[in-house]
Amino acid sequence: MAEMADDDGPESARIVAVPMRIPFILLVLCFTAWGAAANLTDILVGVFRGIFDMSNFQSSLVQSAYYGAYFLLALPAGFINNRYGYKTGVLVGLGLAAVGGMLFLPASQILEYDMFLLALFFLAAGLSILETSANPFVIAMGAESTGTQRLNLAQAFNPIGANIGVLMGAVFILPALTPEASKVIMSEPELLASQQADLNLVLKPYLGIAVALILIWIAIMFRRFELPNPPAVGGGPAASGNVALRLWNNRHYRYGVMAQFFNVAAQTCIWTFTILYAQDVVGESPENAGWWLQASLIIFLFSRFLMVWLLGVFRPSRLLAVMAAFGVLCCLTAMFSLNLVGLVAVAAASASLSLMFPTIYGMALQGLGDDAKFGSAGLVMAILGGAIMPLVHGVVMDLSSPAMGYVVPGICLALVGAYALFDLRNERSGFVDTGMPAPGGEAS
Amino acid sequence: MTVMKKYLYRRARVLLLAGFAIALGACSGEDESVTIGLITKQEVNPYWVTMREVAQQTAKDNNVTLLTATGTSDVDVYSQQAALKDMIAKGARGILIAPTSSTALLPDIEAARRQGVLVIAVDTPVEPVDAVDAYFATDNEAAGRLVGQYATVKAQLLDLKPKIAMLDLAPGISSGEARHRGFLKGFGITPGDPAIVAMVDTEGDRELGESRMAEILAEHPDVNIVYTVNEPAALGALAALQDAGADLDRTILVSIDGGCRAIKQAVRPGDIDATAMQFPQNMAREGVRALASALRGGDRPSGYLNTGVELITGDPAPGVKSRDVAFGVRNCWGN
Repeated sequence: MAEMADDDGPESARIVAVPMRIPFILLVLCFTAWGAAANLTDILVGVFRGIFDMSNFQSSLVQSAYYGAYFLLALPAGFINNRYGYKTGVLVGLGLAAVGGMLFLPASQILEYDMFLLALFFLAAGLSILETSANPFVIAMGAESTGTQRLNLAQAFNPIGANIGVLMGAVFILPALTPEASKVIMSEPELLASQQADLNLVLKPYLGIAVALILIWIAIMFRRFELPNPPAVGGGPAASGNVALRLWNNRHYRYGVMAQFFNVAAQTCIWTFTILYAQDVVGESPENAGWWLQASLIIFLFSRFLMVWLLGVFRPSRLLAVMAAFGVLCCLTAMFSLNLVGLVAVAAASASLSLMFPTIYGMALQGLGDDAKFGSAGLVMAILGGAIMPLVHGVVMDLSSPAMGYVVPGICLALVGAYALFDLRNERSGFVDTGMPAPGGEAS
Repeated sequence: MTVMKKYLYRRARVLLLAGFAIALGACSGEDESVTIGLITKQEVNPYWVTMREVAQQTAKDNNVTLLTATGTSDVDVYSQQAALKDMIAKGARGILIAPTSSTALLPDIEAARRQGVLVIAVDTPVEPVDAVDAYFATDNEAAGRLVGQYATVKAQLLDLKPKIAMLDLAPGISSGEARHRGFLKGFGITPGDPAIVAMVDTEGDRELGESRMAEILAEHPDVNIVYTVNEPAALGALAALQDAGADLDRTILVSIDGGCRAIKQAVRPGDIDATAMQFPQNMAREGVRALASALRGGDRPSGYLNTGVELITGDPAPGVKSRDVAFGVRNCWGN
């Protein structure tokens, strides 16, 4: 199907014009689906640790597979979009992610952890392409003047998906897992049977996501629509050689990429290990632990609305510094209050995370002008933090204790705070507001 | 065309109803509902509360109607006798009982079995053991052996000349005697070994544990290995050791139980060096499942089921299999 320009008319003033409503809804479903898949993965770390009787470090490889794929596929996704258009990008992403979801089927039969990691890699690779394509696709679905509103509206469904993902885990997986105590008296064949039963629990939600992705794929594939605001396809402006150097020499941008790396790292660590903290430190049951993660995401969601209002009152870097300090305080509380107070602190840390991704994004790109387009890629690729730091968190847990693991997100948040202080103390020259919306590429 | 549409619509409706009927049929294959009972000793000790809660959850998961009753103390025979009669009158066809007396309840248990009621003793045995259909409990000797093995390896690592204080339960209680016996075997000594400088009964009570330990320390300030029959006694002994200014880094304190309070407050910081965790959850879960299965035509429960024991420590001893404190926190009983 060709993507064609639409004449400007009264419809173009709407956030989503009538002919674009169905395609827009389909893309909104994509935003919801990747939110669900990403946060269902947070539950898997603890689940696999129990099923395969692994260390925290080994089970953290789940996040490395997931966010590693996100990182590795970011640039190829850009290439697909430039060369073949957003719709192709969305279809490739949906297809690959659906294959990843389907790979859970053989993985649950083979009973090999590596196979699950491969399935997650494929799933995340697809979602990376999907996300990279869907963001600009949504912007191109209407008038340029309403692009940011349209993207924000679509992105609002990402945290809803995130909550659905955790809810699926809390309802369908965690309560039905074989109790750890009962494994103590199981024979080898009984243990194998329980492992198979537990892995089947993991399989169902992912198969559900895969089926949903296939249905969305079919709907988008066969839905004929014309983009009113299509991008140029088949090349596009490449960054000149000087851009990378200019960006590297800009300390606000360079440190911003680092801050984003540590922000995504902190977010992934905090959410990945919330369930393990609730179980290992406080002694909550797996199902209750799942509800604590759900509470964290709800705190994140509501806090984000609060932060939007506060950002209109306070300078972003000042608010970022305060919330980073709050996050560090939460991590310290989690490390040293080995009880319900510590668990509340772990959940409350999500409030500090809620403003970080878009705020760092905006601060790092501020004043970059046209270089911001290239610079945004570096900020999105900082998602690598989510692949690396949970491993470090897992090692600290294994070598020290589950609570002490929170020193890792604590340090990450302190470094985010340091970036905010740097920004406060070092005024920029030639302020230019890029007006670019932050993508939904955060680890939610 | 319209006729064809109506025909297709009718066919679709018929297929939908047929599918719904098949789905309903599939759902109707639930297990037959059966009624069983659980009689514990008391509800002050979280051990029994956990046992009841897990039994209730397992019953819910297995379409079992569970009647529950409890005594007022570990020696309340009368309440258990009344509960047995009451549950049979209410239609219980299987009963799990943690007997407060190994012998006083035998006539009531025999009467129940004569009426076709299956009886499984949990946690505590009756004498003779075959007075019930089956017995599901911790292997107390294995629990004692685990902490004994741990203590001997740690003593070697610390280069200690063992001076052992044994804080036991009370004379004639089989679980306490089995634990005591197991500790000696695990430590590699026999009764009367000169390394044992004191043996006292604590009735598993914290205050008695503290006062008896204080008395031992007054007489033998060089005690460096303390065996306690359960965690309340261990917490009492710990308080006495701290009051006496004992060097806890060079004193090995071991216990048996797996309660959350001791795991979180004493094992996690390393004050109790190791504890052997028992699993009342498994007694309840396996007991309910075994009775439900038998009452639905499956195998009758018989013999002894070891419900498991794991050594919990934050400071593992080489060659002694143990689980970390996180495992202990996840699987401990109580709050």
